[in-house]
Amino acid sequence: MSRTSTTAFTAAVLAVLIIITLQPVAVSETTGTLQPGFNQAIVELRDAQSAGATPSELTEPVALLNKALELNREALILSASDEATRRAGLLVQVDQILTTVETQAIELTAVSSQRKSMNEFLTYLSGAIAAILGTIVYASAMSLHRKYRIKRTFSMRVSRK
Amino acid sequence: MNSQSSHSRRGLIVVFITLLIMCEATVYVISLPQPSERFFQFYVLGPNHTAADYYPGNDSNVNLGEPITWYIGVVNNMGTVQLVSVRIKTSNQTVPPPDDQRGLESPAPTVADFAQFLQDNETWEVSFVWSVSNATSSSGSTRILTVQINNESYPATSWSASNGYNFRLIFELWTWQTDTNTFGYGWNTEGTHRTAWLQIWFNMTSPGPKPPPE
Repeated sequence: MSRTSTTAFTAAVLAVLIIITLQPVAVSETTGTLQPGFNQAIVELRDAQSAGATPSELTEPVALLNKALELNREALILSASDEATRRAGLLVQVDQILTTVETQAIELTAVSSQRKSMNEFLTYLSGAIAAILGTIVYASAMSLHRKYRIKRTFSMRVSRK
Repeated sequence: MNSQSSHSRRGLIVVFITLLIMCEATVYVISLPQPSERFFQFYVLGPNHTAADYYPGNDSNVNLGEPITWYIGVVNNMGTVQLVSVRIKTSNQTVPPPDDQRGLESPAPTVADFAQFLQDNETWEVSFVWSVSNATSSSGSTRILTVQINNESYPATSWSASNGYNFRLIFELWTWQTDTNTFGYGWNTEGTHRTAWLQIWFNMTSPGPKPPPE
């Protein structure tokens, strides 16, 4: 029993090792791991965009995110233990940038939402003003028409046939 | 007379309400966001920013240490801020490319990747200067061991080709998926999964330095 099972066990272990070894290895996926703050920042920025933030308003937070991405990449490349302090420092910087971006995005959402509401109000108000002007024009036209009709009635001649 | 005035006022109210409905409906239609297609553009260009002359002297048989300059570009037309990643994979004739039908990435190993946040309608172009810095050849098989990309050295895994023919670099476009909190191959738009990838073939029949010109 023992010899057969040992052989089978060894074969199974070898098979697993071969399968693991043959798996394609991602050599340097430096962006594969991102801090959760990146996800939150993207969500916040998209919210700001939906609220009506303009591309020029988004330029700064997007540039900051790219800087954070670069620092994150740099931190992930540093793997040696003697560079642990530098790595930690870089990750702290990334965290700070992400916090700044989130704050900016939330502010942008508030400002853009307010601006969007005001713009919508003014747009619909302009529709109401157009309706009022249209009614005034209609009333004036009707008044002129009535006046013209009365004048024409008085200027009619009665002639004997 | 009084009856006529009341009739006239009622008429004006009807006209006003009709105009109001018409104007507000027009405003509503105009203010509706225009439906547009959401997509990415993805390209790899040669040193002259054209889809031609990818290799020096138009010879796709590369030499050891010979720098090759390409430009990788991504244009975001998704309507929102996107985090994109271009993954560069090393392959040959046998390792399959991405599966367009099933939307699956290539099983070839990733040698390097570049990521960038992009605003809507923003174009990101990165220069991609690469060279094979170490390769061996034995019993009819050429194996590339190290690639130099933008002055950084990247080890290549299982990158070999028979007699040095039909090596290829596969470029895949990955995007950040906020629901899964990871990069995913391709992107989702209007309920469908889209993918974009490119490949450029080359040979390395003599894994040695470039011979001097005669």
